[in-house]
Amino acid sequence: MGKLDERVIIVTGGAQGIGRAFSMRFAEEGARVVIADINGPAAEKTAAEIGEAGGEAIAVPTDVSDHESTEAMAQAVLEKWGRIDGLVNNAAVFQRPQITRGTVEEITAEEWDRVMAVNVRGPFLCCRAVLPHMKARGYGKIVNISSGTFFSGRSSTQYVASKGAVVGMTRTLSREVGDFNITVNSIAPGSTASDPERDESNYQGRVPDRSIKRVERPEDLAGAGVFLMSSDSDFMTGQTMIVDGGAALN
Amino acid sequence: MGRLDDRVIIVTGGAAGIGRAFADGFVREGASVVLADINGEQAERSAEEIRQAGGQALGLTVDVSDQAQTETMVAETLSRFGKVTGLVNNAAIAIRVRHTRAPLEEIPLDEFDRMLAVNLKGVFLCSRAVLPHMKEQGYGKIINMSSGTFFNGRENLVHYVASKGGVIAFTRVLAREAGPSGIRVNSIAPGLTASETEEHSLEEFAVRIPNRAIKRIEVPEDLVGAGIFFMSAESDFISGQTLAVDGGVVVH
Repeated sequence: MGKLDERVIIVTGGAQGIGRAFSMRFAEEGARVVIADINGPAAEKTAAEIGEAGGEAIAVPTDVSDHESTEAMAQAVLEKWGRIDGLVNNAAVFQRPQITRGTVEEITAEEWDRVMAVNVRGPFLCCRAVLPHMKARGYGKIVNISSGTFFSGRSSTQYVASKGAVVGMTRTLSREVGDFNITVNSIAPGSTASDPERDESNYQGRVPDRSIKRVERPEDLAGAGVFLMSSDSDFMTGQTMIVDGGAALN
Repeated sequence: MGRLDDRVIIVTGGAAGIGRAFADGFVREGASVVLADINGEQAERSAEEIRQAGGQALGLTVDVSDQAQTETMVAETLSRFGKVTGLVNNAAIAIRVRHTRAPLEEIPLDEFDRMLAVNLKGVFLCSRAVLPHMKEQGYGKIINMSSGTFFNGRENLVHYVASKGGVIAFTRVLAREAGPSGIRVNSIAPGLTASETEEHSLEEFAVRIPNRAIKRIEVPEDLVGAGIFFMSAESDFISGQTLAVDGGVVVH
């Protein structure tokens, strides 16, 4: 018996990295998982892997910055499984070359808009797409992935501002939808070794700041994801949980 | 198979209320529990109930503000169960213990001292008592119970709120100090929780409802999921954090 038996959970950006770790663990805990990723083939591959491991998953190619695409995502899930219990707003741009690591003057207005479109408008649109159903059912679990950089300020402005916006959205939405037993929380990971192209030696920089002195891996976040998707967290809402080995302390 | 199989967890103030709810939840997930409470009779009664239901439990009389007693608590736990995996610093002068609710200048000095002795020094002493063993085993999970009142500065409770703020500061420092030894230290900040009590009616617990996102009374069971999470391997990369579990009053 899993912690998430029967729950239908959408993970945006679920094909790779942290999103993939969430998807795999949710499936292990009995959830039916929707891999909503802009990379359709990668989403199919992760869904197939979950299927081979005995879990249930579907791939729904989704561009979270596109209104129609997010509506179609919710519709596809409802047609397939008839319900949506959880949404993890994990899709985001955070790696080079999409993100310039530089000062404010080095970031173009176009890049700013693109980052906000995915990292902020994306969670907004995905919440908007699932909320009518969650409200009608009177239950739902939403997790927005923020970032430890919101607390430390250690990254470039376009990215950190987008992740601060996610915390703000989490707080306001939690108050708006509490009456419907929908909880809205945020997870703020530290720098996580989630890029398959870069080995762990590239992620050593943040280790000295941590209480637990090692590289953070996508699997380190899965437990918090399961907790916030399960009924164990039903009286917790509006909160941001930092999962970074104890670097930023909130 | 539970998420706390083979874990041994000390819950101070574990005889009743929130502490007892934690203990019951931990036992359901496979842990052995030590109920350390200043009310030793009630601790032993609760432990007996858990044993009757098939769980492993030990009841102990412990005043957490007394160093010798906290050391005995750990020694007895080791002698009975052979290890200590987790400690929940839950014992406190709080809703279930009579205390003055008044502006700062009306708080009796001896009461201020006692509040800090139990609510903050107690956390220090119990942590101090378990740390040598946890460091030796290279693993440990500590939860310190703070309070939502720290975030909203609840008036007429300066002694209580100061003690609970101290708990958060303590959590952060110990997380950094003990992290390299594999020990995780986190805090839970409950809202006003309807723990069983003779002095308070359920209506008194309803006063916070309008502030909440989830508009109902908080009960001890609402905290159990977070307690299990912080005591389990699921939270092994989380340390130094404070989680408000209050139906969304404080947004932290």
